[in-house]
Amino acid sequence: MSDSTKVRSDTADQTQAGVTRASVLPVAEIVTLYAASILAALVVSALLVEITGGSWRTVFSALLDGSIRNPGRWGTTIGTAIPLLLVALGTIVNAKAGLVNIGQEGQLLVGGAFGAYVMIHLDAPGTVVFVALVAAAIVGGAVWAGIAAVLRYWRNVPEVLTTLLLVSVAAQLVGFGFKRESILLAPLPEGSATQVQQTVPVPEGARLSRVTVLGNEFPISAFVALALAAFLAFVLARTVWGFRLRMLGRNPRTAHRAGVSSQRYGIVAMLISGAFAGLAGAFMLTGGDFGSYRFSPNFAVNIGWTGLLVALVARERALFAIVIAFVFAGLRTGSGFLASTGVERRITDVVQALLVLALLVPPAVLFVRERRRAASATRART
Amino acid sequence: MTDGLLAGTGVTAPVPAVSLEGITKRFGAIVACDAVDLDLHRGRIHGVLGENGAGKSTLMKMMIGLVFPDDGAIFVDGIRCYITDPQVAAGHGIAMVHQHFSLVDPLTVWENIALGDGGRLDPGDVRERVGEISEHYGLAIDPDARVGDLPAGLRQRVEIIKCLRRDPDILIFDEPTSVLTPEESVQLFDSLRRVVTDEGRAVALVSHKLDEIIQATDDVTIMRQGVVVDRLRTVDADTPMLARSMVGRPVSLRSERAAFGVLDPSVEGPDEPAAPITAEEPVLRVVDAVVHGRHGQASLDGFSLDVRPGEIVGVAGVEDNGQAELADVLSSLVTLQRGHVEVDATTVAAGRPGAMARAGVAVIPADRHDSGIVLDMTVAENLILVDPKRMARAGVLDSDLVRNLALRLIDEFEIQCWGPDAPLWSLSGGNQQRVVLARELSHQPKVLVAAQPTRGLDVGAIEYMTERLRRAAEDGVGVVLISSELEEILDLSHRIVVMSRGRVIGEMGRADVDRDRLALMLGGRAA
Amino acid sequence: MSSFVGAIGDVLSSDAAYISAISFAALLGFGAVGEWVAEKSGTLNISIEAMLLAGAFAAAVGYDLTSNLAVGAVFGIVAGMAVASAQAELSHRLPADQFVVGLALNILVLGLAGFLDGELEPVTRRAPRVEIPLLSDIPLVGDAFFGQPWLLYLVYAFVPMAWWLVYRTRWGLEVRAAGENPQSADVSGIRVNLRRRQSIYVAGLTSGLGGAYLSLALVGSFEDSIVGGRGFIAIAAVIFGGWTLRGTVAGCLLFGSVLSFRLSLPVLGYNLNNELLTSLPFIATIVGMALFAHRVRPPAALARPFIRGLQ
Repeated sequence: MSDSTKVRSDTADQTQAGVTRASVLPVAEIVTLYAASILAALVVSALLVEITGGSWRTVFSALLDGSIRNPGRWGTTIGTAIPLLLVALGTIVNAKAGLVNIGQEGQLLVGGAFGAYVMIHLDAPGTVVFVALVAAAIVGGAVWAGIAAVLRYWRNVPEVLTTLLLVSVAAQLVGFGFKRESILLAPLPEGSATQVQQTVPVPEGARLSRVTVLGNEFPISAFVALALAAFLAFVLARTVWGFRLRMLGRNPRTAHRAGVSSQRYGIVAMLISGAFAGLAGAFMLTGGDFGSYRFSPNFAVNIGWTGLLVALVARERALFAIVIAFVFAGLRTGSGFLASTGVERRITDVVQALLVLALLVPPAVLFVRERRRAASATRART
Repeated sequence: MTDGLLAGTGVTAPVPAVSLEGITKRFGAIVACDAVDLDLHRGRIHGVLGENGAGKSTLMKMMIGLVFPDDGAIFVDGIRCYITDPQVAAGHGIAMVHQHFSLVDPLTVWENIALGDGGRLDPGDVRERVGEISEHYGLAIDPDARVGDLPAGLRQRVEIIKCLRRDPDILIFDEPTSVLTPEESVQLFDSLRRVVTDEGRAVALVSHKLDEIIQATDDVTIMRQGVVVDRLRTVDADTPMLARSMVGRPVSLRSERAAFGVLDPSVEGPDEPAAPITAEEPVLRVVDAVVHGRHGQASLDGFSLDVRPGEIVGVAGVEDNGQAELADVLSSLVTLQRGHVEVDATTVAAGRPGAMARAGVAVIPADRHDSGIVLDMTVAENLILVDPKRMARAGVLDSDLVRNLALRLIDEFEIQCWGPDAPLWSLSGGNQQRVVLARELSHQPKVLVAAQPTRGLDVGAIEYMTERLRRAAEDGVGVVLISSELEEILDLSHRIVVMSRGRVIGEMGRADVDRDRLALMLGGRAA
Repeated sequence: MSSFVGAIGDVLSSDAAYISAISFAALLGFGAVGEWVAEKSGTLNISIEAMLLAGAFAAAVGYDLTSNLAVGAVFGIVAGMAVASAQAELSHRLPADQFVVGLALNILVLGLAGFLDGELEPVTRRAPRVEIPLLSDIPLVGDAFFGQPWLLYLVYAFVPMAWWLVYRTRWGLEVRAAGENPQSADVSGIRVNLRRRQSIYVAGLTSGLGGAYLSLALVGSFEDSIVGGRGFIAIAAVIFGGWTLRGTVAGCLLFGSVLSFRLSLPVLGYNLNNELLTSLPFIATIVGMALFAHRVRPPAALARPFIRGLQ
């Protein structure tokens, strides 16, 4: 061990090696860049509100009320953040493997549909129904992502496009399920003339229990999601599997030589990614914050897309995704309070997308700068 | 006759075609070129000699606008110029034949030649011009062939025509012979001579090969660590003197021959590499390997090779004759259409992920960025890439174990970095190469495949690498040295096989090397 | 089975089926031609969807303001180019991931369309048909190809223009070089990222116009679901076509026909399952790519950023 400390002090003095730790992290610069980018996104959003006759102050205030300030609201925001976080975690897995999955909206919907189907047709005690529902949803999401993965490795079809196209197919598949009572559709309630496209509600015993903290209520799946985030962060950073997955994503040829099968790891990564989306669907169905325990054709309500954006902002860091999921969930729950301001609630979609775009800028700038610095210092004489 | 190169003698001379004055370029803390003066004259070939990393490529890049100098001035025909990009350089009549090609494979020859010009695209005109140039300089080429289908020698021809098409006054050649057979090199220098004497152009020939400089140039400038250390007429120079000047100390041309590209038999010492143990069974057998390349032609066409423990087998050959595919096969990166590979008499499934590595075949790839390292991972992670399980308990990596291994290897292989957690991209190329070497040797391999292992390294690093390869062989590892640098092969190998068009066309023991025969075989003729 | 064969026969002998097939193929064509140029330069540009939607919205605004189709079309182009500028600058000036940029733009424009939708008058805007003499009299397919609103005819011009641009001009040569080997192109003195940005602008132009065609001619009104994933089908057409223009056009015709089934089959009296009809184009696209994508070679640097001095 004394040997190793010697090495460290030696190498620390090697300015010739080019990059020292300090030059990699110009902290003030990074903070300024991020702050400026976020500010720019917010200013553009505020301008949009003002142009369409709204007031950004009232909008901001309403968003704050709806997301955290009013009684019980942050509980609702947590409830919304759960599926966002789960979708984001799945996205991190496929991104680490160097694959692009942007069809979580469809995977979540199919997962929800699988879960709902099992829930409707399984006559069993609540707990059993719950477990079967979750398992089915996981399978559903995984299958939907798996199609894209298999086509990628078997037929060379870009998964970025397949996952997208499968979102549209998923919507129609679910729509078909609501054509028949034998699949998803709830029987016509007595005395009612209009058929609503939805399932029967999840039976009481198969619902997630909800906890109340300081007057805020949310389902216990929140803890599951947090645990999964921590577990995933650990798996990716510290296990052999996570190590090999990252290797594959960063340099597939080196990984192949080192014994990582791109097919095996890639397909598994996509299955996991879809499974997370399916799990998000299962928790939405049983959690109570979405669709009052019923599955319906527009069940996914953009949670897949937004969860994807969470992952993009979190940049492959599972623990950071927790924070972003909460922020984006807040924008969503806050938007429910916008009706009184006269501003169309979809402004929050715009804000989210603008934030994503703005947050692309600082890492890109820093990446180029860092690498250039390293490249010029190390290749100076070639 | 000009005397301008005799700097400091006070003799006035005609205005040089290009004159660099006090050119300085810094990259961070490192000065790549430090107040360099250089004059290129019409009608003369000017050699720029220096070891890898001496700053000669940077200097040339500044002349064609790929790098902009921090200080100093560039004069073209006595007029000060600011060369901000390659277009501007072309405007001043400066063109470069690049070391790594500037060609686009799927495009045709004429399209490639037209690339980078201005004005309207007129295919007929370009083709006609290509025809004229090929005829004039004896560089025959089919303008409608796809560049990707051409062998390396012809590709360089395309590169040269592309360069000449703009009718440049000043031509820069960056290490042009690495892709050529000895015969093709002679042809190239003949063409160069014609360009210079018949047409009065100026040529700069960048090289680290002493023989080439002596044979082909009129004047020579020697650079070391960013500084011009010597300039003289080539007729006044000899090999030992150039070598000394290039490295800055007296050198044994015998042992460091590889670094200087010296083939001159007179500098060959008596100590041939020790004869290997020949009795043992081969540790590696490649039998009748066939691999199809990008366009269906065979890249490996019935290639066979036996390597015994403790033996260094040099696979010589001009680049692009299947060496890359051979290395890929031994890295599990391609499957074989026919034939098989045995390690220790056991057949290894070629192309299956990690199969070769598991069987004990270590590889130092020609392009480490391609299949040797992961730039975005840390030094420690790169050191355990091949077999992370060894560092893990129940699938979880033991960070202490990883760290200790990394520290040990960093120490043992003198890898310069700020610690095991430094991202690999923050290391210099030479140190990245050491990471590869350290990892591959740390697995106690049975076979070590080294593909162009010293390319791009400076003299010190080359010595280190060759020493490591020798030591591995002494430890009983079967070493396959794939190199297009004949000097390196001669320096290290116990046995030499010559590869051409994907097959072995000749084999000889180190003691029986006959240079003429070797040169013939490199040209693709069995002899 | 017999009814299926019958349906095909009926579709093949119906003027109306051809008209709607060509109408949808043209929509895909506007997106796909521009996308083809962008992919040739090395960008897999998934913001085609956003470009179409922005074009459709802006064209409706322009038409409402002036009651002039041409002005509407120009508005569409400007909006398409605006989306293109965001994609181009973020992914080829900064090296931000092109998929992430494209995805965020798709969501942004969709959100904007929903946000601003209410500001639009809910009126019908329908460009009149312009029959080309003689050609439109060709039996069966005459009206489909030559009896359409004039906006559609622009796509006929775009296809040969794109071919000429990419294969016959210096600009196109440089675009192809940038898509195949950006390092070599750079060394040869070509501004790789500039060419890539310009190619995305071409995609913005054609897709913006495609959006105008969509809202002013094909549908005749605007809603935020007007594009509905068909931009992605246009991208798939390029891949299906193996990055050749001919194949891309074939892909547009094929996928356009499948898209039109949803309109033409019920008219002919075939009541197929609506969900199946709606999802059929997407399934056909996936199957089409699965059948052909593995045989062809994409531009070597497709979806890889170029940063000088790295790599």
